[in-house]
Amino acid sequence: MLVPERGGAVVPVTVVLCVNGERHEFEIDPLERLADVLRDRIGLVGTKVGCGEGACGACAVLLDGRAVASCLLAVGSAAGHRIETIEGLSRDGLTPLQEAFIAADALQCGFCTPGQIVAATGLLRAEPAPTRAAVRQAMSGNICRCGCYPKIEQAILSCSGGDG
Amino acid sequence: MTRLVKTVTEMEGRFEEKWVLVEDDGLVSWEAEAALRHVGHPTPRLTGPQRVSGAARYTVDVALPGMLHAAVLRSPVAHGRVTALQVAAAEAIAGVRAVLTPASELGFQQRSGPLHDEPLYAGAPLAVVAADTLAAAREACRALAPSIEPLPFTVDIETAWQEQRFDGDLHEEARGDVEAALAAAAVRVELVVSTPGQLQTPIEPHAAVAWWKPDELVCFIATQGMFDARAELAKRFDLPPERVRVITEYVGGGFGGKQNAGFEALIAAELSRRTGRPVRLVLDRHGEQLDGGCRPATRQTVRLGATADGMLTAIDAEALVEFGMSGWRAVTTPALTLYRCADVRGIEANLRLELRRGNAFRAPAVMEGITALEQAIDELAIETGLDPLELRRRNFADRDQSADLPYTSNSLLWCYDRAAELAGWPDRDRWREPQADGLLRGMGCAAQIWWGGGGPPSHASCRLGGDGVAQVVVGVQDIGTGTLTAARMVAAEELGLPLDRVTVRGGDTAPAIYGPVAGGSQTTPSVMPAVRGAAAAVRRKLLALAGDVFEAEPDDLVVDDGRIRSRDGGLDEPYTAVTAKLGQASIDGSGNRGPNPDGYRANTFGCQIARVAVDPGTGSVRVEGIWAAHDIGRVINPLGASSQVEGGILQGMAYALSEQRVIDRTTGVPVNATMDDYKVPTMMDTPPIVVAFAPLPDTLLNTVGAKGLGEPPIIPTAAAIANAFRHATGRRAAALPLTRARVLEAIA
Amino acid sequence: MSTFCRPTTLADALAALAEPGSRVLAGGTDLSGLIDRGLASPTTVIDVQDAGLDRIERCGAGVRIGATATLATVAVSDLLTRWTALREAAAAAASPLLRNVATVGGNLCQHTRCWYYRGVEWTCWLGGGDTCFAQIGEHERHGLQPGDCISAHPSDLAPALIVSDATVVVASATGIREQPVAALYRRPDVDDRSLLTLGPDEVITHVVLPAPPDASVYLREGQREAFSFPLVGLAVARFGERLVMAAAGVANIPHLLDPDDVLHDLPGNPQSAWKRTVLATLASRGRTAVTM
Repeated sequence: MLVPERGGAVVPVTVVLCVNGERHEFEIDPLERLADVLRDRIGLVGTKVGCGEGACGACAVLLDGRAVASCLLAVGSAAGHRIETIEGLSRDGLTPLQEAFIAADALQCGFCTPGQIVAATGLLRAEPAPTRAAVRQAMSGNICRCGCYPKIEQAILSCSGGDG
Repeated sequence: MTRLVKTVTEMEGRFEEKWVLVEDDGLVSWEAEAALRHVGHPTPRLTGPQRVSGAARYTVDVALPGMLHAAVLRSPVAHGRVTALQVAAAEAIAGVRAVLTPASELGFQQRSGPLHDEPLYAGAPLAVVAADTLAAAREACRALAPSIEPLPFTVDIETAWQEQRFDGDLHEEARGDVEAALAAAAVRVELVVSTPGQLQTPIEPHAAVAWWKPDELVCFIATQGMFDARAELAKRFDLPPERVRVITEYVGGGFGGKQNAGFEALIAAELSRRTGRPVRLVLDRHGEQLDGGCRPATRQTVRLGATADGMLTAIDAEALVEFGMSGWRAVTTPALTLYRCADVRGIEANLRLELRRGNAFRAPAVMEGITALEQAIDELAIETGLDPLELRRRNFADRDQSADLPYTSNSLLWCYDRAAELAGWPDRDRWREPQADGLLRGMGCAAQIWWGGGGPPSHASCRLGGDGVAQVVVGVQDIGTGTLTAARMVAAEELGLPLDRVTVRGGDTAPAIYGPVAGGSQTTPSVMPAVRGAAAAVRRKLLALAGDVFEAEPDDLVVDDGRIRSRDGGLDEPYTAVTAKLGQASIDGSGNRGPNPDGYRANTFGCQIARVAVDPGTGSVRVEGIWAAHDIGRVINPLGASSQVEGGILQGMAYALSEQRVIDRTTGVPVNATMDDYKVPTMMDTPPIVVAFAPLPDTLLNTVGAKGLGEPPIIPTAAAIANAFRHATGRRAAALPLTRARVLEAIA
Repeated sequence: MSTFCRPTTLADALAALAEPGSRVLAGGTDLSGLIDRGLASPTTVIDVQDAGLDRIERCGAGVRIGATATLATVAVSDLLTRWTALREAAAAAASPLLRNVATVGGNLCQHTRCWYYRGVEWTCWLGGGDTCFAQIGEHERHGLQPGDCISAHPSDLAPALIVSDATVVVASATGIREQPVAALYRRPDVDDRSLLTLGPDEVITHVVLPAPPDASVYLREGQREAFSFPLVGLAVARFGERLVMAAAGVANIPHLLDPDDVLHDLPGNPQSAWKRTVLATLASRGRTAVTM
């Protein structure tokens, strides 16, 4: 496919990222996407790129605690924000949410799973006891092609004080 | 005893009689009542911690020192001739290491392609570039600036049919005289159904990382069949198979679309051969949706004849297929096998179009066929005034009529009853009463048949070390189906060990322990008996050693819960009381899948019921519940199995409601080859799903009693939904998916 | 070579925007895709997240929403409880991951989702070519008006703001102007294919809501239950006896409907005519919802 030309390379600038509490500094095209920088420059490949167009959610990371699609986010825009990836969430061992995903079998191929965990973590931080309806809403940007949704919903609800 | 036996093997309905090497393990299939400690109990996934923490390494994550990145230039037209490529301009881009075009001398052979100077579908690869960075490779692809002379194309089934553009011969299978039977039938039904092209859309696209080393070609491939991939690479590059190693630790979904080595592995290997550097080739999403494969669209006509009391007397199924797999004809197979009927005919034509040729997508062809057949059966129920499930029960086929052989097991009648009970089927007409919310509700059902018996060859090894931990090695990758977890459960069962004392390795051809491609629902029934055999061999040796150590008769000893016990209860020692004496040595065993039983066919069966709510004002269709009952023999892991069923149902639901490859009629190019436009279901679309499994192991088939599960659950969902729509609205849409436009037209 | 900047004041942003070829980046959820597909190639990208335009605050009897307020914020803002249609529209757009960064201004200015416009295989009329491929091709999800471009307007917010009588504040280095939201949009013509009335040096800084309607609602039908663009999105507001209706998905810009004849001027194109039924249904339901 002939992808039309982008407007030429952007002047590299110094970008400082705060990822999982660590400072990373790059000379970089600030329009490069955060997902690519996390994966290729920092080696945090737990963040996946499924579609590159914000349509699948596999690339979800937390930006100041809110789940966002890192494949659309320019790294220059991410600078100055607190970025957390699946590796950061897992640093001190598995979280109760991750344990719940395993217990409920809320994953099959597992490729979308980091994004699911990140999105669910963002939800539970903002709303520790979401209802079933709130869980379904909040997770609707994360595609699981294996179709683990019933189990993902169950895993998240098992971690919430919500009544379902 | 090792012997060569002749046995019938089957993969997605392709039967083959072949000689296979088997070692008789002397095991008898676990009986239905067998008290099993692990098998049959819900068990979390072995690789769960890696997958939830982001630690699992998929092919797209593999990064090797000095690795190059490859990008693909694809055809923007459905049919054309490439008259010029600006190769020099591409090569001039900084960081470009190799440019492959159709003119390149390749180090491997392939019948057509892999790069095309006359592309026959939009998205066909024209050229490939490897460069230091992906950005440079993409820039070089743009610089290639192909000049393309457009050529005529056909992307429409009707036109191809009129022009008789057949791919291969028409396939016809018949018994009896269907025309005469139709003419004589008291009740006749005819239904024309169109089904959509459906894209697998794995979230990890097709990907490969190849490293051509001096003495070995190492390929990381996102594939469902690493041994098939190895064989393909070895054959194409003319290498001995043992000099090719395929590694597939994790795969981000395949659903049938990732078999063999694929374009990406062949090209990455070639680029690595040329450059001496590791090369990574990952399809971008547009490339994946254009060229990753698809379930081809069909147009089918089903004619049924029956007696007044609903006994089928004639089934005639015709299918036109939108450029499906070469030589693969099974759309009309369900019409030939699912119901008892003497006069039957199935005929299908594969039409050659300027579209990406279809490939396997979960229950290829059979799902398409069931989607039409089961809607026709529903019409017959309406015509005869019979309950649709009662009609199906009356026409139950207790043997494979095509092969004239009995089944190893068949619990389809149980499935009908169980699904009906779970769904509240007897009261289904109450859903048609006027609803307070103004929606039209209804319930529909559909049945399913698929193969899924597996067979040889499939091997496993088991090694018990001094620490009393067993390591099982299998020749398959776990694409998310839970294969490694099931292997752990089966080995732990046979060894009498707790689960955490058994590890399982797969995903690498290096140990040279063969396993089959993850397709056709054959993995569990093929691999698990081999695992059990390997574990049994170790158990026997262990007990023989224990007999020496404890001065007991090995036949009087059993293993359970990590301990060695005598049957009379006098001896109760931990495993390690024996294994600790091994030092650096180990107890090794190997196992293999035995032959399939002579004179039988092994099939899976099932029934699903769907309830839908239709908004007559907007044409929206919402599925409010699915109740599924399937016969897959013994369920090794009910937890993982229910996940498989839920996933299959959601893909089947989307086939009925939203998924459809849309082809632009004026250019022949798919317009929705992105995840933005090709909508797969979200959690919000997911209805409550209730799953049940028939409680009968298939003890004739293999030593664990299991049949396969990958395909069965996707098969009947769309038909059940279409039948529920018919029940709710009194109308049938001629085509799926049930878009708002079609719904509003149908109920207008 | 192009440049990227993150000005910390509106004045700095406007000065940068005055340079030819520059373009505003807010949440980036649309612009990133446009750049990837070659539909935008700015020489300077001005990220306005630090320009102080993200506040939602009371303004007389109404509310003033900064253009970089996110959809997620708008959907739950306590200040907006009386603008039901707006909150519902913000909550329905895109997905939670996107709503966490996507902004009000960006949502109003996003480009159409027409697959021919976005597809790299075509250069359609709207993109500067000669042909509206949708008209001769696949337009089941397209607009109901014939014309040079039959794309469907994608913003959920636009109709909700229009029926709320909202205005947008548009700024450039040379001044500020305020206009109704509907005036942000124009029908493209041969000489100017833009669907927006914004000049290249202009940016939306605020959306201003006057006193709230007595009742309002946003009803939409998407391709699936969540995470899809509106096939038809209808906002209805009632001010006393006055009923206002506007829709996305039915024309290439937001479409103001005549409540007594909602299908007026929307004859339908051959494959998209089904949307007329949906629009009529939603209008009837919307009317009921705001008059109950």
